[in-house]
Amino acid sequence: MYMQGLANFLDDFLGGLMLISYALVIGSLLWSIWILRVWSPSERASTTIIARGIALLRFGAIALAATQGTKLLIKALVLSATLGELPMAAYASTVQFQAGLVRLVLAVGIVWLTGRMRAAPVHRPYWNTLLALSIPLVISGAWLVHAVGRFELRSPLMAMTVVHQLAGAVWVGGIAQLLSLWRLGAVDREARALWPTAISRFGWLGGLSVLLLLVTGLPLAWTYIGSWDGLFGTGYGSLVVTKSVLLLIALYFAYRNHSAGRSWRQGATGGAIVSKVPYYIEAETFILVGILFIAATLSSQPPSVDIPDLAVPVADVIEMFTPHEPRLTSPSHEELLAGEAGRVAVVGKVPSPAATLWSDYNHNISGIFLTGMGLVAMLYYLFGFGWARYWPLGFIGLSIFLFFRSDAETWPLGPIGFWESTFGNGEVFQHRIATLLAFCLGVMELRARTNPDARKLTFMFPVLCAFGGVLLLTHAHAEFELRSEYLIQSTHTAMGLLAVIMASGRWLELRLATPEGYTESRVAGFVAILAMFVIGNFLLFYREPLY
Amino acid sequence: MTPRLRAIAPLLLSSALALVAPGQAQAHAVVTESSLQTQPVKPGHATTVQLQFNAGVELSLSRIFLVSKGDVYQPITARTGKKPGEILVPLPALSEGEYAIKYKIFAADGHLTESVIRFFVKEESNKR
Repeated sequence: MYMQGLANFLDDFLGGLMLISYALVIGSLLWSIWILRVWSPSERASTTIIARGIALLRFGAIALAATQGTKLLIKALVLSATLGELPMAAYASTVQFQAGLVRLVLAVGIVWLTGRMRAAPVHRPYWNTLLALSIPLVISGAWLVHAVGRFELRSPLMAMTVVHQLAGAVWVGGIAQLLSLWRLGAVDREARALWPTAISRFGWLGGLSVLLLLVTGLPLAWTYIGSWDGLFGTGYGSLVVTKSVLLLIALYFAYRNHSAGRSWRQGATGGAIVSKVPYYIEAETFILVGILFIAATLSSQPPSVDIPDLAVPVADVIEMFTPHEPRLTSPSHEELLAGEAGRVAVVGKVPSPAATLWSDYNHNISGIFLTGMGLVAMLYYLFGFGWARYWPLGFIGLSIFLFFRSDAETWPLGPIGFWESTFGNGEVFQHRIATLLAFCLGVMELRARTNPDARKLTFMFPVLCAFGGVLLLTHAHAEFELRSEYLIQSTHTAMGLLAVIMASGRWLELRLATPEGYTESRVAGFVAILAMFVIGNFLLFYREPLY
Repeated sequence: MTPRLRAIAPLLLSSALALVAPGQAQAHAVVTESSLQTQPVKPGHATTVQLQFNAGVELSLSRIFLVSKGDVYQPITARTGKKPGEILVPLPALSEGEYAIKYKIFAADGHLTESVIRFFVKEESNKR
């Protein structure tokens, strides 16, 4: 079961990584054609810049081949663990296996080709071949999406999803190339000179991709969701809402970049295009990565339109987010353990009020920690109290709380010993690691905020938040025969969204901490803290449905 | 903390968070119609339950079980029906009581779904 859980997780996580890798390949190709003008000898960028673009494209192809290959393998492992055997012939005959294999072969082909292109970056036949390999790579995606298993509108939905993916890839891949160009500009004069032009040209390419995203995304959402309850009352719908919110934030950054590019075209020199835009792009990257992981998760959710009877009424979802009096007392271990056998039974299942109360208490107390940290951090940002810099201490307190409460049946509160429980039960082992890492996060951020010599550590916090957010979002697997599972999941999805915002805000705060960007830096930092405060509130008022 | 440890910390945390997150079975192929809703299973009569899924199902990569009291699992050899996505689940004659059909279905889009349909066997109605 432990391996199966791990394999299931990897299967889904790989979906997000595959989308990122795919975007690096396809977005880089379009970047090279549109921005670097590789097919125009008179207009094309320098060989150094083109070679840099090829390197990123090659990295994407290697990652795509690795993730696609691993996904095929992981799927086989999941099947083997689930079925107790692996019917290889049946597995190899599935559309998923065959389309995945085609994509793997094409990705390997691109790796090989880009290896040769390193010696001749502007050799036109190579670019023609790259395009020829990329077209089937894009098309093969049609057999790897949701729509392939459907009975109605199968072909139009497959085609629309492929175009949607293509548009997203152009945006994400282009953003990655922009960041790469910015870094190259630190050592290459021609890259520095190209930067404003690249921002300006990418404005058009990005605008076109956004238009395509909307033109394809809206009908897809309409077809797969179909109602307001479906939008807000199912896992699929809530992920689409979350994706839309993140899209709006990404569009805001894109707008700021585009405005800077327009100012530059109108004659402004320097300014935001060099002092702020690179950092907006970095923050936008956090958001776009979040969007891609949500997109991957959507493919493993049942479309809302298929489960109208299981959609939770909007009022019930609102109730989950409505403030309640926090639960500050917990049932005893004996009460909790007494109800577990009935709660997990398939036949004769008996909901456990003790388990619900236990969970409420854990969430609500965790909420007190996070809300408290948020409030203290706000005092630091608003009034500059020196002592308030120590707010990350709360993470250490939270880790201690989790240590005692995560697993009721084990040491230190339960009868099963520390070593026996830690290494004898996969779930307990995972909780122990998470607890330890929460502790480490507190120690690291505390050092980062209080020790001027620990500057590099400061970037750990947003990166960890982004990972945490992505993982909360990608684990939106409601066990769909139970509405209560979705209600629980809705709070976790909202917290995942806020964690990504928190990561993006903190990153911007750190990067814009210059005399020119001081105000924006403070605002971004406050937004990050506000997001943490709201996460704390969700936890503080959390009420688990009885199930 | 050494630079190497710092570098792997996000990976470790992400793995840890993922492992403790609510990682239930993946959920794509869902039952949109079931004959259990309209034709209750009567005691002492072998029955074939019809399950209609929203997506194509690879039956050779799927497993279906009848679960009875005490969570006793009995494998069932299901077959495809006439309609796309239709699966027929033959049940033996059952005595009165609560049962469940537990399935692990590999959908045509590559997602493995694990879920449970609970039902009662009694004379008048099997709805919970």
